[in-house]
Amino acid sequence: MTFTAPVLNYAQLAPMLIVLGGALIGVLIEAFGPRASRHASQLFITVASLVAAFAALVRVRNQSSVDAAMGSVGFDGAGVLLQGTILIIALLSVFLIADQENFTALAAAVPGSSEERESLQLDLRVTEVYPLTLFAVAGMLLFPVSTDLITLFVALEMLSLPLYLMAGLSRRRRLMSQESALKYFLLGAFSSAFLLFGVAYLYGYSNSVTFAGIQASITGGSGNDVFLLLGIAFISVGLLFKVGAVPFHAWSPDVYQGAPTAITGFMAAATKVAAFGAILRIFYVAFANAEWQWKPALVLIAIVTMVFGSVVAITQRDVKRMLAYSSIAHAGFLLAGVIALSKSGLDASIFYLFAYGIATVGAFGVVTLVRDSAGEVTDLNRWSGLGKRSPLVASVFAFFLLAFAGIPLTSGFIGKFSIFSAAYETGSTAILIAGVLSSAIAAFFYIRVIVLMFFKDPVEDGTSVVIPSALTTTTIAVTSLITLILGIFPAPLINFIESSAFFIR
Amino acid sequence: MSANPYIPILVIFAIGFGFAAFSVGIAAVTGPARYNRAKLEAYECGIEPSPQALQGGRFPVKYFLTAMLFIVFDIEIVFLYPWAVTFDKLGLFGLVEMAIFIGTVFVAYAYVWRRGGLEWD
Amino acid sequence: MNALTSMMLLPLLGSLLVAVIPSDQTLRIKQAALGTTLLVAISGVMAWFKFDSANTSFQFVQIAQWIPSFGINYAVGVDGLALVLILMSVLLAPVVVLAGWNESEGGRWSAKVFYILILVLETMMIGVFAATDVFLFYVFFEAMLIPVYFLIGGYGSGERAAAAVKFLLYSLFGGLLMLASIIGLYVISGTHGGHTFDIGQLSELHKFMSPTTQNLLFLGFFIAFAIKAPVWPLHTWLPDAAAAATPGTSVLLLGVLDKVGTFGMIRFCLTLFPDASKTFTPVILVFAVISILYGAFLAIGARDIKRLIAYTSISHFGFITMGIFAMTTQGHSGATLYMFNHGFSTAALFLVAGWMISRRGSSTIADFGGLQRVTPVMAWSFFIAGMSSLALPGLSSFVSEFLVLVGTYTRYPVAAVIATFGIVLAALYILIPVQKALHGPTTPGNENLPDLNLREKIAIAPVIAVIVALGFYPAPLLNVINPASAHVLEVQGFTDPVPSESAGK
Repeated sequence: MTFTAPVLNYAQLAPMLIVLGGALIGVLIEAFGPRASRHASQLFITVASLVAAFAALVRVRNQSSVDAAMGSVGFDGAGVLLQGTILIIALLSVFLIADQENFTALAAAVPGSSEERESLQLDLRVTEVYPLTLFAVAGMLLFPVSTDLITLFVALEMLSLPLYLMAGLSRRRRLMSQESALKYFLLGAFSSAFLLFGVAYLYGYSNSVTFAGIQASITGGSGNDVFLLLGIAFISVGLLFKVGAVPFHAWSPDVYQGAPTAITGFMAAATKVAAFGAILRIFYVAFANAEWQWKPALVLIAIVTMVFGSVVAITQRDVKRMLAYSSIAHAGFLLAGVIALSKSGLDASIFYLFAYGIATVGAFGVVTLVRDSAGEVTDLNRWSGLGKRSPLVASVFAFFLLAFAGIPLTSGFIGKFSIFSAAYETGSTAILIAGVLSSAIAAFFYIRVIVLMFFKDPVEDGTSVVIPSALTTTTIAVTSLITLILGIFPAPLINFIESSAFFIR
Repeated sequence: MSANPYIPILVIFAIGFGFAAFSVGIAAVTGPARYNRAKLEAYECGIEPSPQALQGGRFPVKYFLTAMLFIVFDIEIVFLYPWAVTFDKLGLFGLVEMAIFIGTVFVAYAYVWRRGGLEWD
Repeated sequence: MNALTSMMLLPLLGSLLVAVIPSDQTLRIKQAALGTTLLVAISGVMAWFKFDSANTSFQFVQIAQWIPSFGINYAVGVDGLALVLILMSVLLAPVVVLAGWNESEGGRWSAKVFYILILVLETMMIGVFAATDVFLFYVFFEAMLIPVYFLIGGYGSGERAAAAVKFLLYSLFGGLLMLASIIGLYVISGTHGGHTFDIGQLSELHKFMSPTTQNLLFLGFFIAFAIKAPVWPLHTWLPDAAAAATPGTSVLLLGVLDKVGTFGMIRFCLTLFPDASKTFTPVILVFAVISILYGAFLAIGARDIKRLIAYTSISHFGFITMGIFAMTTQGHSGATLYMFNHGFSTAALFLVAGWMISRRGSSTIADFGGLQRVTPVMAWSFFIAGMSSLALPGLSSFVSEFLVLVGTYTRYPVAAVIATFGIVLAALYILIPVQKALHGPTTPGNENLPDLNLREKIAIAPVIAVIVALGFYPAPLLNVINPASAHVLEVQGFTDPVPSESAGK
């Protein structure tokens, strides 16, 4: 057996390496930096490495190769678009995370203990959240460009593990936050096991772990189809868990509600982009020729996900839970793009991911602003009359909700149109009908929140909208602006996606 | 004979399961059953669980830290072995990569050290 | 600049102007809004004179690429049909602003927001009639809902929030069905010569559709329009919305917005799906006749003035729908003229009713009595509006109702004969309130009601003038409408059963 030194394309891997480097520096700052300046330096390092990674990505945007890292990482147009989306979302989320009011002072302190009181008095900060964010971002960057199953699994773990921790960092209602972290971890580990199980089956089927090898085996038709089906099924379970598709959604309402809101926004937006990126790649590249084996099942899952998410969201009384169910419904819409299995499906999915991710970060950004003396107020009843108290914040939130509902002149409408037309183009009439009907149902609960904010009188219980910090303001302003611009002038982005989105095989 | 490669796997699986079942079963049948206080403790590694958890049954979190640290270095060794074996062929590339790898591990180590993870009390 | 585009931009600029005026300068805001709507009305009249009625193709055409990847254009243009409706909209807008000078005062928000919403709505009203790109039409069609929603919910009376939500949900549901059909059209156009939304090119597409496809796509459009128009049994949102909205909003809602439904039936249902239109004609005619009679019966039984007017509108929309689906030139010309006339007679009814209600502090018909003696001008205005609504010869609605009935009779005599009963019922539902509220002895509580002031007289005068003038001399409008109606029918191969009878007498 001979060994040859691997050849790595460092330019193409640079975005990930920069983010990882930033994370390591962050850990060192935690170890050696003086406590007082940690927050500022962490924030600087995080923002700087995200910006640098984005710049590195822009530099190589026109390159593509299957060999960025010995066939384990495929670098192509779709990968660049997805990585860029993740970096933008991450940067905007970091601005929200920078508002440390949301985070516990000392994560290790038992809730209600004397250590916790002491840590609050000392005004400690969990600045570890920044390196954790960067580690998660690095995993997310790797996830949609992995072209073999091992890398896919490593990337999945790399993005998941920091998120499990970050979910438990809430400053208020800490038990709930920790419960959500544990729930997320246990179910996440469970789904990772499924994924790994599927990897084993696919290896058994094709004698290869690379997407190209699996695709070749499927085309050749030599292997045992039972292994292929089991492999696809188990891998799908693992990936669908991450995007919160029914019936693998059970974690998401609890985690969305328990996690600090800034983290929820980051998780909801960026994880979805990364996971759907990976799903798109694996289904478009590895499983494309086994279309008839998985399409019926995926169509069913997509329809159930749309309808379930929309229907259950109606009964929610908590704004974060409502957004969680709405994100489940959107996962269903996004699956329509996977099912389309066409160029227009890919374009539409990437546009939708960008539009949805941006709007989600913005919406959660607004949620962080509504507080009372005990922290954020997420009970929808207490959002009554928000439009009277602070018309601007309420209008912005209403605008995001309209974008989620897919009303014209918002990015959500263009996304919805393009993804459903792509699905219908390849013959999925059922998806189109289910999508339209569940959009109608979903409109109901989005509008209910608007009614609550604008047409109900305020309740006098100390709920108020805080003056947002400059960074939070930036995030909310940028996200709402992008949502509006993509609704009115989507052509530049659509053209860009159309001309550059493809999967290298 | 497409299923052929899997028959050995099945056989290994059967042997493994059989061995486990046999060991557990034979210990219960032939082993002496003389219990004392130490044997009934939750953690039988030579160290008394300390400090005692209030309701009993919970390990001090410090063991967890130790275990994690052990894994960090364990994994480092796992990677060092194959690298050492193929050192010649990988050349300078391998050396640099390994230096980076060890550096990364030391970042984690430094964090644990500075944040008091190595202090027992 | 293109006449239509500048007409759409003007109100938008006006809304910006209103937005920069400080909120406390209410008078300035109102003046700015009135000035803008007057300017738009003037440019509308100018477009009217520049329009060449002999030319049946679209005029004032402007086409610019919007989202080229999907074949979506910003494409505007008008034929006689659209021009008439645009003229009606821009003439009604200043009347509404002037008549409802103080309407914004009972609202949740300031007058500023009210006039911004009105002006934005005006832009969209023009756009929805002017769009010759189906996608652009849909964008206006849906986006229009949002300002109306806030106008009803924010400035209405009574159960305004509930009424606004009901209105929005009904409309969104219809809109989403239409979206499904639009996606269907888009995909089919992609397989026959490239993606397009151009109404001209799409009108050729029905030749390639199977009857089932055509029927389904037709239904998607038709249900959306039938909700908007509203046709029985999809009308239940209208009485609530009209009763809750301010009189000015009701005028825009019933006078203009609902016309989009009947306009859409001609422009989209008939033009895009001629075969399906024929298939469904019998069913639709039954619904139309039921609307006529059902609306009339409800109106007779109504105790609330605003609800009464809303029910009469359901009856009138039945006539319009019947005229459209009779597929004769007279029927179409009559229906189009009816849309115009209904706009003005409903405007007169709602505005006068609004003044009566705000003076008396009650909207129950039984609370009024003997207004003829106390407030002669107001009473006469209401009387003339009412007479126009029951289609008294010599007033505008008579001509259109007559044309619709004649046009229907030549092909569907039974429907026409049954619909004629609607005229008898109309006499009842108008004369009963006229007799109760205007004539007879002055009942307690009405003795000291003030008559119309100068502003109100100025506002109502042009509306009454149009009603009377068009009753005697409808030729200017019919000269524009007739060629357009004939053209619409001719293009898709509908022929009149009695070819020699000309409508424009």
